[in-house]
Formats: sequence, structure tokens, C-alpha cells
Amino acid sequence: MSEVAGRVRAAARAHHAQEAVPLPRAPEYEGLVTRAIAFALDAAIISGVSVVVGAAAGLTLSVLSVPSSVEAAVFGFAGGICLLWSTAYFVTFWCTTGQTPGNRVLGIRVCLAEDGSAPRPARALLRLIALTLCAIPLFAGFLPILVNDRRRGVHDMLAGTVVVGWPDQAAAVAANGTGRQT
Amino acid sequence: MAGVDSNRAACEPSCEVLELEPLIRDSKNGARGRRARLLGVGEALVGVAVRPLAAGIELGRRGERELRGAVVSGVDAATLATVDALLASPLAGEVVDRVLASPLARMTVERALSGPLVEAASRNVVQYAVLERVADELLPGETVDGLLERAQTADVPRRVADRLLADGVLDQTVARVLEGPELERVVESALDSAAMEKLVVRVIESRLLEEAVERLLQTDELWLMVDEIARSPAVAEAIQRQSLGFADEVAGGVRTRSRKIDDRLETRARRVFRRKPRGPGEAPGSGT
Repeated sequence: MSEVAGRVRAAARAHHAQEAVPLPRAPEYEGLVTRAIAFALDAAIISGVSVVVGAAAGLTLSVLSVPSSVEAAVFGFAGGICLLWSTAYFVTFWCTTGQTPGNRVLGIRVCLAEDGSAPRPARALLRLIALTLCAIPLFAGFLPILVNDRRRGVHDMLAGTVVVGWPDQAAAVAANGTGRQT
Repeated sequence: MAGVDSNRAACEPSCEVLELEPLIRDSKNGARGRRARLLGVGEALVGVAVRPLAAGIELGRRGERELRGAVVSGVDAATLATVDALLASPLAGEVVDRVLASPLARMTVERALSGPLVEAASRNVVQYAVLERVADELLPGETVDGLLERAQTADVPRRVADRLLADGVLDQTVARVLEGPELERVVESALDSAAMEKLVVRVIESRLLEEAVERLLQTDELWLMVDEIARSPAVAEAIQRQSLGFADEVAGGVRTRSRKIDDRLETRARRVFRRKPRGPGEAPGSGT
């Protein structure tokens, strides 16, 4: 019986050796400057769209004679829309492809540290909120990116995400990410 | 027998004693000499008697030779005269026509062509340079010109061209030329030649090209063609691809530089915070 079990184990080992594929090399985590440039591009896109829409709304309001109270309400609504637009922009891109347009240009991608997949909306929203909070104390929340082994900021640690190179680094995260030091 | 020998032996001592041996020897020699002299005399007598006969025979032979030569020359002359008479007679042409029209001539020609005569004749033609000699005779003269004129008069070139076009020979020839390496060699040699360079320079510097370009620019068809080309999806795609390629190139440059700056910044930050620097074997940007 033990002989049969030994043969089965040997056959399984041989089969596993045949089907083994080389593991992807360690992922390339992206640093502070690259991410900052990507974020700046995203900010430029968001601000550009906001400015255009805001300018159109302002011009419309300048033509129309509306009461000041209504005008304040319109500005408040526009601010909310702008905030919603910014939030939707980041959350949507992070959840779908893991890449905002700025990330795409810089060749980086946001993914989960565990398996390299794109974060879910809740994680993405958490990351955005944490990112905003990290910026409040003079961007101190981003300093861990400089010293962390996986180049994670506080918002990454809170959301359980990493930022890696694109296009083929997510697979490397999936293969190496679970056991990595954060 | 033994008795006879014994008697001779008994007698010989007696002869020597009597000295008869020299006498007997002399008598024998004398008889031989006389016989020889008699033979010589006889031969001389026969020679004298036969000499007129030999002269007569020789005379007869000479006459026979002369007569035979005369007969042969006479026969030859008669034969030649007969042949001349035959050739000069009006029947000769009729005879030739009949012979040529007869099955015999056809059979003769067929057998000659089917036999080894053709090969032998060909070998001889080659061996004795018959074609070269004929060409040497024909080319300097006006025969070739006359032949060409007659061929042109008979519309031979057009018929040959029609035949070549109808049979597809020209198509095959063009295809062979285009597929073969000869055309490439010819084009290369033409392009490498100084004459072609001079020709191109003269064409470029000539007013003909300027006028052609001016006329081309004045035509509406050119601008229609340019509009069509500009509107074509292929051109739009090419422009888009080139723009994207340029954007990718710029983004790649930014990416590379930002990653280098990241590495430097991280190294300094680690030094400030007294963190262990990255391992020597790790690639830049790999956050292990």
C-alpha cells in the first residue's frame, strides 16, 4: 500500500514538474514622483473638465438674472457635482482597469496587494478618502512611500492596495503579493 | 662387310705408297672447270638468241599502253560530249521534272532525311564552317538589306508581332524578364552609370520639370486627389498612429526619468530614516 502511495506521489510530482510555469519576477512598485506626476495629470483632467463646465454654468448664470440665494444654491450644487465628478473619476477608473488616464500615461496601475486584482468600489472609495486625508498634514501621509519596501503610502496601507508598473506587473503581485512585507 | 673394310684398309697403304692420290684429285677438278665453262657459253648463246624476242614484247606492251590511253581519253571525251549534249537538250529539264515528280525522288529524300545523312551533313557543315563562310559572304553585301526590305514589304514584322502576341509569347517573355535577375542587373547597372546620373541632373535642372510641376499644381484633379488621400482611413490611421507614437515616446521619457528620480529620492529617504537600502541585485523600481 505504501509502495502504491509512493508511486502516486512520484507521478504527481512529475506531473507538477511538467506543468510548472516560471514564476513572474518581483513586481515593480512605483515611487512617489511617478505617482505624483500621474496624479497631477488626473488633476489636470478633472480640473479642466470642471473649469469648462463651471465656466459654462457661470456664463449661463451671468446671462440669466437669478436671485443671489438661487445663485448660492447653484454654486453649492456645482461644488457637489464637482466633488462627485472627482470621486467618480478615481473610483470608476480604479475599480475597472485600475488605471486612471494619468496612470495610463505613466504606465502604472492600482491593484490589491493580495492578488493583484482591481480594487472594489468600497476599497477604491476608502483609498480616495485616505488619500485626501494623507494630503492634509502637508502630504505627510505619502512619505511612507519613500521608505516602505512596497512603496505604499498610508492610503495604500489602509485600502490594502499597491501601485505597480503596467501592463504585466499585476500577475507578479498575484504571485508574490500575499507573503510580502508591507 | 667386315671383309671389304679389311680389304680397303689393306689396300690404302699400298696407294699411298704408289703416289696416285694427287693425280686422281687433279683429274676431278679439271672436269668441274670444263663443265662450268660449257654452261657459261650456253647461257651467252641463249641470251643472244632471246634478245630480239624481249624487244618485241616490250614494244608490244608500249603499244598496248598507248592504245589503252587513247581509248580512255576518247571515251572520256565522248562521255563529256554526251553529257553536254544531254544537259543542253530540252529533254533534260523534262527528265528532271519527271524524276522529281516521281515517287522515287520522294522516297529518296525521305530515306536520306531519316538516315544518318542529316547528321553527317550537319557535322560537315560545322566542321567546314559552312555557315560562317555563308555569313561572311552574305553580311558584307546588300543581300541582308534586300532581305529586310522584302520582309518589310511583305509585312512580315507585323505578322510576327501579331503571332507573338496571339500565342502569349510576349506575355511569357515579359513575365520571365520581370521575374528573372537580368532586369535587376540591368537597372542596377543603369542606375550606377554616370550617364544616368547626368540624365537625371539634366531632367531636374531643365525647365521641363518646372513646367510640369506648375501645370500639375494648376490642375484641379491633383487637389481632388490630395483631398481624397487626406480623407482616406489609411492616412488618418497613419497620422493617428504617428501622434500616438509621439505621445508614447514622450510618456516613455517621462516615465523613465520619474522612475530614476524615485530611486534616488528613495535612497536618500532611506538614508535619512536609517533604513536598509535596497539590495544590490534588485532592479530599480522593484520594491522588495
